[in-house]
Amino acid sequence: MTPDKNRPSPEWISRLRAQFPTEAEIDRILTRKMQHRAGPGYSPLPLESLVKNIESLLHQELKEPFRITDAKWLSGGASKLQVAFTLSWIQPGRGAVQTPMVLRMEPAESIVETSRLREFQLIRAFEGVVPVPPVYWCDADARHLPYPALIYGFAPGVTKPSDAKSGVTGLGTHLPSDLRPKLAQQFVQHLAAIHTFDYRNKGLDAFEVPEAGTTQCAEWGLNWWERVWEEDSDEDVPLMRLAAGWLRENMPVLDRPVVVHADYRVGNFLFTEHDSKISAWLDWELGRIGDRHQDIAWTTSRAFGHMAEDGKTFLTCGLMPEAEFIAAYEKASGLKIDPAAVHWYKVYNDYMMATLTLATGYRIANGGKTHQDVLVTWLMGIGSMLLEEMRSLIEQGA
Amino acid sequence: MQMRPQIQIKSVIKALAEVVLPAVDPQNKLAQEQARLAIGTLTLMAQQLPLQAQFDLDELSRLIKFSHDLRNCARGGTATQGALAQLAMSSESAAAALESKGLLPQQVEQWIRTLRAESGALIKQLFVDGDPASRVEMRAVVLAMSKEQLLRDRSWLLMQGWEPDPKSIPPIAELLGLASS
Repeated sequence: MTPDKNRPSPEWISRLRAQFPTEAEIDRILTRKMQHRAGPGYSPLPLESLVKNIESLLHQELKEPFRITDAKWLSGGASKLQVAFTLSWIQPGRGAVQTPMVLRMEPAESIVETSRLREFQLIRAFEGVVPVPPVYWCDADARHLPYPALIYGFAPGVTKPSDAKSGVTGLGTHLPSDLRPKLAQQFVQHLAAIHTFDYRNKGLDAFEVPEAGTTQCAEWGLNWWERVWEEDSDEDVPLMRLAAGWLRENMPVLDRPVVVHADYRVGNFLFTEHDSKISAWLDWELGRIGDRHQDIAWTTSRAFGHMAEDGKTFLTCGLMPEAEFIAAYEKASGLKIDPAAVHWYKVYNDYMMATLTLATGYRIANGGKTHQDVLVTWLMGIGSMLLEEMRSLIEQGA
Repeated sequence: MQMRPQIQIKSVIKALAEVVLPAVDPQNKLAQEQARLAIGTLTLMAQQLPLQAQFDLDELSRLIKFSHDLRNCARGGTATQGALAQLAMSSESAAAALESKGLLPQQVEQWIRTLRAESGALIKQLFVDGDPASRVEMRAVVLAMSKEQLLRDRSWLLMQGWEPDPKSIPPIAELLGLASS
């Protein structure tokens, strides 16, 4: 019998959990999603009531008086609600300050269902390692805010120059050619720093470490996204069924667990225009401890780059040719890249993105679950391009 | 009936672009972005609606042939045999329905959904208990069909701007075998 994906039964949820074992925190947030699926959609939240919710959280966290002003909605991401505000407070060690802040909160359901706790822990762990916004508080279980959320400091900079072309969420951003080499070097160095970071004893207790020398890392990832496909898809895609089988038959062995950002691309860092310096890496929500090849494959995806002015050379994230990027990364990190593992993760990443856009995107927009259903619906359109990339990769590897 | 979707969409686009969007607070980035996306989505719909029926019939024909090709190569145990029987029944019914030339658009859409689901189920079962040689043949069949269908899907959505090399994608009217207007 076909399950009712808009009203999933507890039995069906349990079957999926058993069929697709993954990290405990990932299982928790996916299960929570399904348990709430039949509930109400997202209704616009007045800024005033959100401010009161933030105040409730801060009354718990802060001993000294504080004031919230200048609250306003931000746009720019496909998955989370973001509200900018100014916090006047007594910051420990600094005294009375006014700090621009951002509330980052889930809608009723998101195009990518992730853990605010994991995101919070990851950003905090990387303070001082690579540029990240300062992260202050996390309401992982929505005790104060209507949905799970975190609050971080507003970082200076832009995701693209004001006159650069780009699509929604920074996809297809065209950076000016004179800016590319200045950003490219930092881009590579920061990725190398993330992958060589010693994550042990850094407060990452919401993460599990896959076993080196096994395919557990690949299996956890595939189980995660195949489960989401089952939970969310409406119209089936024969190619996605082939891809899942191909991925499972060809899982790479993990040589060295590292922190994986999992959304490392142009559009996800801020830089200050006067000195072209990257000031903050954003969107750590998909981060995991896993295989560096996942990041390499993601960054080099066709979805995030474009042709150079010669019309022949594809630029990774619009910054540099892929071969140049790989060579620079290996030099900076001291870690070798296995082309076969990159190939597998390219298929995996396309599988994941196709799942997010075609399955989850459809399911949540149809259910009225977000604050930007029209954006989520628009993003479904990228699915065909991703599927063709995935198809071509499987064909090459067949 | 004069008031068809084409004139409705055209009027709504004009209202949004010329009256509503200029009145939206420029500081409300979310509203600005969504107003533009509303216009973009309606523009896409205006392009697609006149060809929707042909697009779906083209896909259904492809899925019927695909089902036939999958059936020819699928061999395996009980799970595979069960999925194969289901696909055989549905694809023969779909072919007969298409041959009758009386299908309504929503019926075409429903047959597309059914054949996608049942061919997907067969592929899944082939990975469970399919004959290894059969899986190799199945892979080739799926990749070939997907290549054809995805070219049409990508052309269908070309105006969204996702393609890094849009000139490499033929116009949808050409892919559907329609005379250019």
